[in-house]
Amino acid sequence: MKNMEFFRNVSIGRYIGGDSAIYRLKPGTKYLWLLALSIPAIASPRLPGLVLPLVCALAAGAASGLKPRFLLRCVVPALPFFALAALLQFLFSFPNDSSPLLFKIGPISGTVREGLAILMAVFRTIDLMVIIGLFTSVTSESEITHGIEDAFAPVSRNGGWVHDFALVVGLSFRFIPIIAGELEAIVLAQSSRGASFGTAKGRPLAKVRAYLPLFVPVTVRALERAELLAEAMDARCYTGNGRTRYVVYEGTKHEGLAKGLAFAFCGIALAIAFML
Amino acid sequence: MKNHAFPTKKLVEAGALSALSIVLSLTPLGYIPWFSGATLSVLAVPAIIGALVGGPAVGTFVSAVFGLTSMVQAATNPARGPIDMFFVNPLISVLPRLFIGITAWLVFRAFRGKHTPAAAALAGITGALANSVLTLGALFLAGAIPLAVAATVLVSNGILEAAAGGILSSAVVSAWKGIASRSGRSKISEEEEKAENSGESR
Repeated sequence: MKNMEFFRNVSIGRYIGGDSAIYRLKPGTKYLWLLALSIPAIASPRLPGLVLPLVCALAAGAASGLKPRFLLRCVVPALPFFALAALLQFLFSFPNDSSPLLFKIGPISGTVREGLAILMAVFRTIDLMVIIGLFTSVTSESEITHGIEDAFAPVSRNGGWVHDFALVVGLSFRFIPIIAGELEAIVLAQSSRGASFGTAKGRPLAKVRAYLPLFVPVTVRALERAELLAEAMDARCYTGNGRTRYVVYEGTKHEGLAKGLAFAFCGIALAIAFML
Repeated sequence: MKNHAFPTKKLVEAGALSALSIVLSLTPLGYIPWFSGATLSVLAVPAIIGALVGGPAVGTFVSAVFGLTSMVQAATNPARGPIDMFFVNPLISVLPRLFIGITAWLVFRAFRGKHTPAAAALAGITGALANSVLTLGALFLAGAIPLAVAATVLVSNGILEAAAGGILSSAVVSAWKGIASRSGRSKISEEEEKAENSGESR
């Protein structure tokens, strides 16, 4: 194992501190905007619908002090792979492809339909990269973990399953650093006992069995922790409704406006995406 | 006070296994290196274990999280392969994965609690196969890969991933149930010794 430092790679996003209005929004509102931007980016069937979320995300970034160049910079490492994907797409043609031919270089022929498919996939990926980059730059880690419950708050009622759903999602966020630490500890411990994980030769099945000393303890420990935590929660009646919290987010005066704008944007973007 | 749908234990299990799924996808350990670049993905296994230990709802939740991690990874780090770009579509990344938990649970339940290690192994194989078949099928239906490529990947990677799923699921479920039903010597140490011995004697 060349690289044993997992904690570095498991942080949720690159938070960049700041104090503009967008930063001070409640985390629930930020999640709402994440959805409002991502849904049109994922769902739109045609190219024009993909441009609007991108522009809006870059504008929001600029409004909170992040230059568009910063958000777009994360796209640069992916460019060679876009090119590779384009090449593969051109190599394998769609069945019954009757759109006009764009070019033909030897065995590689590109039609308009393939070109469009590539452009859309590339744009969608760029969209999502920028949107997620914006979200993680503006939302601190504690906001991410606490905010997931706030985001579900309007929809959950007493005894409904949505309430539990939000609890589970929040729990998994909180467990991530714990499990990452367990994983690291077990890898180090087993390696110091001489177990090798990635470099063993032999049939693939033998390699799988070499993973057992890593996989089994980590999973069983995770389940053990889950059981302990569930007992602790039950003992403190921290289940169901009426769960209080230590950290409270005040938000800004314009929470309602921000939320309304999120819905409006999503509606308009979806309408444009499906009608243009 | 208990006016909610699920017992706390299952909620927390779902949370812990989802976290495991996320962490595995973020570290290189989620993929067993096979030869010069190709890897076997064991990310389906936490979802399968969720189904076997916690039931179909827990299994489906962790499966959904698995799908979402592959979607978010495709969106933020498409450096693993050109096919990744199609995983940005949740119909390809999330929808097929939802069946991992259910299929594994159905197979496990058919054994009615007997022969747990074998049942878990078969359930693991089923879940991993469901993952491979349905995801590759979705990729094919979306026009991302031709049928020949899908079939090739299914045979070369899918079968081995199914075997890996069976082995890992069986080991974990056996160790877990051993702990839960026996006080005294925990079964984990047995599993670890067996695996380490087989690893060292290679």
